[in-house]
Amino acid sequence: MARIQVYRYDPDGEGEAHYDAWDLDVKPGQTVLDLLHVIHYYHDPTLSFRRSCQAALCGSCGMTLNGRSGLSCNTQAAPLIARDGYLLVDPMKNLPVLKDLVVDMEPFWNAVYAIDPYLRPGAEPHGPYVVPKKQMDPLKIAQDCIMCGSCLSECTSREANPEYLGPAALAKAYRFVADARDGAEQERLERYSEPNGIWDCDTCLYCNEVCPMHVKPMDAIMRMREKSIELGIPSQGATHALAFYETIVKGGKLNEFQTVNNSLGIGGMVSQSSIAAKVLLRGKRPSIRKKPIEGFEDVQKIMRAVERKKRREARR
Amino acid sequence: MQKHEVLIVGGGLAGAMAARSAHLAGADVAIVSKLSPLRSHTVAAAGGINAALAEGDSWEGHAFDTIKGSDYLADQDGVEVLCRAAPEVVVMMDHLGTPFSRDEAGHLFHRPFGGHGMPRAYFAGDRTGLSLLQTAWEQLVKEGITLYDEWAVTRLIVEQGRFSGLVAYKVSDGTIEEFQARACVVCTGPAGQMYHKTTNAVTCTGDGIAMAYRAGCGIKDMEFVQFHPTSLHGPNVLITEAARGEGGIMRNAKGERFMERYSPKTLDMAPRDIVSRAIETEAREGRAYPGGYVDLDLTHLGEAKIRERLPEVYQFSTEFAGVDPSKAPIPIEPAQHYMMGGIGTDNDAATSVPGIYAAGECACVSLHGGNRLGGNALLECIVFGLRAGRTASAFAKGKAPIAGGAEAVAAEEKRVDGLLKSEGRETVEDLRQELKRVMWEKVGIFRHEADLELAVGAVRDLQRRVANVRVGSTGKRFNYALLEAMELRNLLDLAEVIAIGALMRRESRGAHARTDYPTRDDAITQWQPKERTY
Repeated sequence: MARIQVYRYDPDGEGEAHYDAWDLDVKPGQTVLDLLHVIHYYHDPTLSFRRSCQAALCGSCGMTLNGRSGLSCNTQAAPLIARDGYLLVDPMKNLPVLKDLVVDMEPFWNAVYAIDPYLRPGAEPHGPYVVPKKQMDPLKIAQDCIMCGSCLSECTSREANPEYLGPAALAKAYRFVADARDGAEQERLERYSEPNGIWDCDTCLYCNEVCPMHVKPMDAIMRMREKSIELGIPSQGATHALAFYETIVKGGKLNEFQTVNNSLGIGGMVSQSSIAAKVLLRGKRPSIRKKPIEGFEDVQKIMRAVERKKRREARR
Repeated sequence: MQKHEVLIVGGGLAGAMAARSAHLAGADVAIVSKLSPLRSHTVAAAGGINAALAEGDSWEGHAFDTIKGSDYLADQDGVEVLCRAAPEVVVMMDHLGTPFSRDEAGHLFHRPFGGHGMPRAYFAGDRTGLSLLQTAWEQLVKEGITLYDEWAVTRLIVEQGRFSGLVAYKVSDGTIEEFQARACVVCTGPAGQMYHKTTNAVTCTGDGIAMAYRAGCGIKDMEFVQFHPTSLHGPNVLITEAARGEGGIMRNAKGERFMERYSPKTLDMAPRDIVSRAIETEAREGRAYPGGYVDLDLTHLGEAKIRERLPEVYQFSTEFAGVDPSKAPIPIEPAQHYMMGGIGTDNDAATSVPGIYAAGECACVSLHGGNRLGGNALLECIVFGLRAGRTASAFAKGKAPIAGGAEAVAAEEKRVDGLLKSEGRETVEDLRQELKRVMWEKVGIFRHEADLELAVGAVRDLQRRVANVRVGSTGKRFNYALLEAMELRNLLDLAEVIAIGALMRRESRGAHARTDYPTRDDAITQWQPKERTY
């Protein structure tokens, strides 16, 4: 017997949101979805949750399981209970709850719609496109996305900024940017470089971690950042990244004054001054010395190695 | 009330394609679907889509294999339409963005599938259905096609001898509303949930077939139910045929390569019906593992090839069975997989009721006759989805809308109200489990008159008992218990048709195997070329 606690909420109901608990016999091989079905079919038919394929392909059953976003259909229950000593099922985070475990996916879809989620072909050949396997391979980090929402649920940038497009939409965006058959790379990257796009990711890596399909949204976002810098697409994010890079190349460590100056200009220096004052008051004095750090030669070696590697990759 | 010219019921691959072609033909079209389109069961189709694109292949060759595979029950004109259109359909999907797998030089890969004389299955890893559906969905977004998702259609309305609209139930708040239109295309997929072991999604409850049947459309070939030989033992998650196409070998509990007994020439690549019967026979004769499963061995392919070509197989066996297929064989067993039968249509997807069209797995052209070959289902969804959208929009043009859906809405409201208020003793799940057991045991891989008679009786008994069902949830929002009660009625209506069809067909053909009539009887088929149930 194991206790399973499930988040309950019904806007038409009388009570507040709460947890209901059931003590169930958990057999080896049973998934969390199997347990929810047992509850729904035999204990409480009013429990609502989306599900369909039961094979981790349709993306219906995204939930939060012991605090971590994922699919209930491919998450074995017994190991989770053995590891944590409990089983707690919540709806996905970062999306409004409509009832019990059902969330409003509208904001999720709207973000996907916003990236033009369809091929904008360049020159169409008569027969199938000829695109070597090597050129198709990069799509692999994004093409299997089943739009379950687990990554958005776990996204810390989205938590801070509800306007941020989020990992799933941006992974979808990358799927077209990386596709040799798509003819709108420049235009896409310009749009994705606008606020709430690729430069708003805070690189926490949770999206890569939780994706049930092993899609890597954060890698996709980083590749788009690199590509947009390569193409010289102006954006505050790119300017900031380059400013960062410059101070490191020069002195081996971050120079906050220079970075803010290069990234945001004089106006930025002024606007950031109150933060700077607070930082100073807390005793976190940034270094003003321009002298390179100890071991600077090694930093330069690393930078050169990275650049050589990039050139090699570009030639391939 | 919502008004459109053409309504597409269901947003899977066939529905999305029908919507696209109706839209491009200039019709005001909307999709009404129980699920958000990307949740549709198309995602589960793994292995490929057939087309005679390769040098040395021909549409005639593809058609021959399809007709032979159907055990000569397929409609040969329909098959011609399918196979002729196949090459351009694959090229079209490539142009629209499907990430088909390619070789180093950049040309589309293809691989062998059971029952095909040539390797002609094109694929995107082993997520071909998912990839094609994504592409189709992307086009819906691009064209801005209206979508009513999580609206479960409960009834098709026929007035003055033609389709006039439908009634749908909004899952999010319990609203029941009329949708008026001049034509509709039913694309609601299969009804596999009537079987105990099935690879079908829990939402595959035959809603569209049952509604069309009740609206007066002929449905046909329903007794032909495909059992896929390689589903994961236990959860019955589908292990694609491509696993054998790439070189997988099946062995029984004694380690014998048992297919040598049943199909010495084609071995593991024999058509699905033959392989399923072989496994079932091994189990009945005590050569399978306890529980009736056998091994599918991929270990000789090596981890790299499995991960590259069969990533989904790798994921499924590790996540759902705890087996690393590069190190140990995968435990597999047959499970219900596909329905060859469905709403009867002609080659333009028209049913016997003017204004109602059907495409995809819920339809029966019939392209697959007694048995479908792998790689032809996705193809059918696209070819006939596109055709259905075109013919439905042509039909809708110039037709005046017919009012008069209020009665149907009232009837549905009354039915839903009755279900919600019912104080009956039966539960949906008990009846559903009983149905699944009866269909699996009595109308399964092997069939027999005595069993089939019992099955018809048992299903009719369940139909009586369903009147006394208690839903147990009266809420308006996301009341899935109510939805399941409505789905159960659909399953029961179709189970009756399947059991009767199986009883009446006194021969063995394709997936329909009668132990009491073990051979094919072409005389029967001659006088019953298109058996229809009204």
